[in-house]
Amino acid sequence: MKANLKNRLCSKNAVTLYFITALYLAVSILVYGGWASRHLSSMLISISCYIAMAVSLNLVVGMLGELSLGHAGFMSVGLFAGCLFSIYTVGTLPLIVRLPGAMLLGGSAAALAGLVVGLPALRLKGDYLAIVTLGCGEIIKNVITNLNITGGALGLNTSTIYSGTKTLLPYAIALVFITVLVMMNLKKSKHGRAIMAIRDNRIAAESNGVDVTYYKLVVFVLSAFFAGAAGAIYGHSFANVKAATFDYNMSIEVLVIVVLGGMGSINGAVIAAIALKALPELLRDISDYRMLVYSVLLILIMLLNSSPRFADMKGRWSIGAMYKMLRYGRKAAVETEVSHGHE
Amino acid sequence: MKRTKKTLCALAAAAMLIGCLAGCGSGGKEPAATDGDGSASLLLGGIGPLTGDYANYGTSNRNGAQIAVDEINAAGGVNGFNFTLDFQDSQGNPDSAVAAYGKLMDNGMDVSLGGTFSGETQSIVAAAKADSILVLTATASSKACIEGNDCAFRVCFNDPAQGAASANYIADNNLATKIAVFYASDNDYCVGLYDTFAAECETLGLEVVEVQTFTSSTNTDFSTQINAIKDSGAELVFLPIYAAEASTLLTQASGKLENVVYFGCDGLDGLLTKVSDPALVEGVMMLTPFAANSTDENVQSFVTAYEAAYGTVPDQFAADGYDAIYTIAAALQQAGITSENKDDTFNEKMVAAMTQITVEGVTGTMTWGADGETSKAAQAMIIRDGTTVLYEG
Amino acid sequence: MIYLVRTLISGLSLGSIYALMALGYTMVYGVAKMLNFAHGDIIMVGAYSIIVAVSQAHLPPLAAVLISVAVCACLGVTVEFLAYRPLRQAPPLNVLITAIGVSYFLQNAALLVFGSEQKAFPAIVSFPSLSVGGVEIDGITLATLAVTAVIMASLTLFISKTRIGKAMRAVSEDKGAAELMGISVNRTITLTFAVGSALAAVASIFFGAAYVYVRPTTGAMPGIKAFTAAVFGGIGSIPGAMLGGIMLGIIEQFSKTYISTLWSDAIVFGVLVLILVVRPTGLLGRKLNEKV
Repeated sequence: MKANLKNRLCSKNAVTLYFITALYLAVSILVYGGWASRHLSSMLISISCYIAMAVSLNLVVGMLGELSLGHAGFMSVGLFAGCLFSIYTVGTLPLIVRLPGAMLLGGSAAALAGLVVGLPALRLKGDYLAIVTLGCGEIIKNVITNLNITGGALGLNTSTIYSGTKTLLPYAIALVFITVLVMMNLKKSKHGRAIMAIRDNRIAAESNGVDVTYYKLVVFVLSAFFAGAAGAIYGHSFANVKAATFDYNMSIEVLVIVVLGGMGSINGAVIAAIALKALPELLRDISDYRMLVYSVLLILIMLLNSSPRFADMKGRWSIGAMYKMLRYGRKAAVETEVSHGHE
Repeated sequence: MKRTKKTLCALAAAAMLIGCLAGCGSGGKEPAATDGDGSASLLLGGIGPLTGDYANYGTSNRNGAQIAVDEINAAGGVNGFNFTLDFQDSQGNPDSAVAAYGKLMDNGMDVSLGGTFSGETQSIVAAAKADSILVLTATASSKACIEGNDCAFRVCFNDPAQGAASANYIADNNLATKIAVFYASDNDYCVGLYDTFAAECETLGLEVVEVQTFTSSTNTDFSTQINAIKDSGAELVFLPIYAAEASTLLTQASGKLENVVYFGCDGLDGLLTKVSDPALVEGVMMLTPFAANSTDENVQSFVTAYEAAYGTVPDQFAADGYDAIYTIAAALQQAGITSENKDDTFNEKMVAAMTQITVEGVTGTMTWGADGETSKAAQAMIIRDGTTVLYEG
Repeated sequence: MIYLVRTLISGLSLGSIYALMALGYTMVYGVAKMLNFAHGDIIMVGAYSIIVAVSQAHLPPLAAVLISVAVCACLGVTVEFLAYRPLRQAPPLNVLITAIGVSYFLQNAALLVFGSEQKAFPAIVSFPSLSVGGVEIDGITLATLAVTAVIMASLTLFISKTRIGKAMRAVSEDKGAAELMGISVNRTITLTFAVGSALAAVASIFFGAAYVYVRPTTGAMPGIKAFTAAVFGGIGSIPGAMLGGIMLGIIEQFSKTYISTLWSDAIVFGVLVLILVVRPTGLLGRKLNEKV
């Protein structure tokens, strides 16, 4: 039916997809056409990886409602597994097979790690789970640093597989799209609803036949998979990667992105990832005060986001509301707002 | 209706975001900027941690380089060029470092000073390969970080060479036969030094009786490691670590480890400024090319200028930064490039000149091979009565 | 045998510092139900206050300590008022992120003011060490343990016996009901933060005395370890914080001595994970019954 199609084309999920498509289209034109600044093109792969990380963490934090502070650990497992595979096959496989292979392998290795981390999650909740995930991230970091095969403390030498932005961009775009599509579909499906039911009221969900164990594990495995795939690509954009970079600070960075974007909102995670990764770079000119300004902005944004007065203001001054005011006049706009209720 | 509007709004927001990011810089390199008085400017781009945990290393590096830039400009520049230093913050993070490199290229960087740490430098060097720009890192010391790019050179020693040199020095001067090692197992500098040190000790017949490590998460309490070293009966403790952790170790070990000689490498430079009491570091030896109280005229004028500008004694990182700038000046002279004839062959000529010059810097007399490594001598120094002096055996 | 005792002693040293830091954490969490991620950085500010008071203003040690406690308490109260109070109705994760922002802010402000070079903590207190059967126990360790025990005992008494303590317990159980009973929730939470931050100042004295060197980022890792210790012992439980801290220190030192310093991080956290899996609410945590 035509109305149904129109609804789907203009649905919130579709809007997210258009947004991402438009963004990447513009960026690709800039990069391949040679008009992009070096600064911009050197940030792109990193930002794409963080988008994938944020969207996958959103599954755990936003949809399942559990605090996970070890997400960077999954990324590093995927990075090392994927890059090692890539290094060993750099002569034998063409790029178009090697990179997706590295991403798949990295994702699978991370998924395995996610399964192991997810097991304690079955018994723990809230802050206790946060500490366990933090601990798992540190364990992963310690283990990888001490192994010889990953280069140890000197880091993995990835100069043989190092690729520039132009080479990696298509794969990064594919990664982001797949991650976002999977997460969006999951959210709308019965599995997504089950997961959100667990978040809202575990006992009620369980009493309705939702298999909590299964879904909790699925969430950890799936989010770890995409973090691992992101890690594999991330590793290809550097010549030297150390496990020490992927510590709880990075996990917290991704968590901040997810929370800032609004928990459970995929669109929000994407926008917040772009904003929070681009912001320190844009502030480079005030380098001495950069991190200070960043932290102040973070606090202000959180305050504004959470304060009920601002939410009210956001509703009244949003673009949709302003359009209505222009079109229907002030009184009528308020009436339609009241009658439609909140989106 | 509302939803279509939402779609359009999202697209508009996307367009604005892109425009904002893209407008960050121009698409290509700008030609050399000219000052008001007609002299051209050479942009030297440095990258290092200016904020965060390791801020003091990047700041030292930048400050040393800035002193050199100011001195050169005050003396009228080189071949009609004035130097400008643009030092970007990377927080020691390779992600940030590569973005900083991109920004510097947008700003029209002529020569890159690489990164302060080895990890970030390796990625910068890989990114610079496509630009064929001269990369001269002052302080990145891992062997791998300048490999793979013929245009990359370094001012400091590389870690494997230092590790082997330390073992040889200990053997040649009969400092000890039973050695304990204390290092950070998750730091590339320490591990790079330790690996070759241990291998060299084996060939020389020196016995390594105890190896103790720590990590960045456990760098406040060393009591377990100190106890183990005490039990092993070692005569010398090799410290291939940085001065900050060494100061903590020496403070905690005082009174517990008696009759032990401490021996470190260039990372220990600046130890005196870090400890609370100079008596704690009495007798500590280090193999380093830079000594702040050397009587050499060059060194003294550098130290005086640095102290006047920044209020502290310069350390290894600052000295290397200083020498890097003077090396670039020397290469510029050698290549014979002036503000009139600067063209597209600038990078080629600079790289070619690097292997032809000899620089008398504050960290020693340096020449460079095609592999980018420098040959200079390290001296053994010892801390006596609160000052660092040459070790005379 | 003597090695065992020696390792135990060094475990107690490390653990006592963790315990003292964890006390402040757990106190704030117990009452306000929020994780003050900036706690480690308040400790850092306390340490710097003492350094400035003694080394630059040349004040006597006691005055320096009092100033440090006052500075930390004020800082805690200010942070609560500006950053946490507006978010009281918000989901807890939002508050956590704001706390992280505050933590970064404090670190970078300290970096700008004091520079990144380490500063030495003045030797304002010296405690005699004790020699027991050939093993020497550091004076600082004994002092830290003693002070931690005293603080733990007085906090427990304060919470259970005084009116303000009862108010705190009421607020921690149900803010709405507490308000209906005439308790000023705002004042209670402000007081909690003041006490928690004052505890941070005390922790900074012993941290500085034990480890001497302070940098702007000194508070970050110990803050995480204190958080771990508090959760380990059962977050919200004051004796739990002390127990958790000491256990964490002992596990860390034992794994460093008997297994390997290379793997000690992994082992410490591995043990933590195992114990939490076996006892999901921490060692002394209360089992929360979920109501349907």
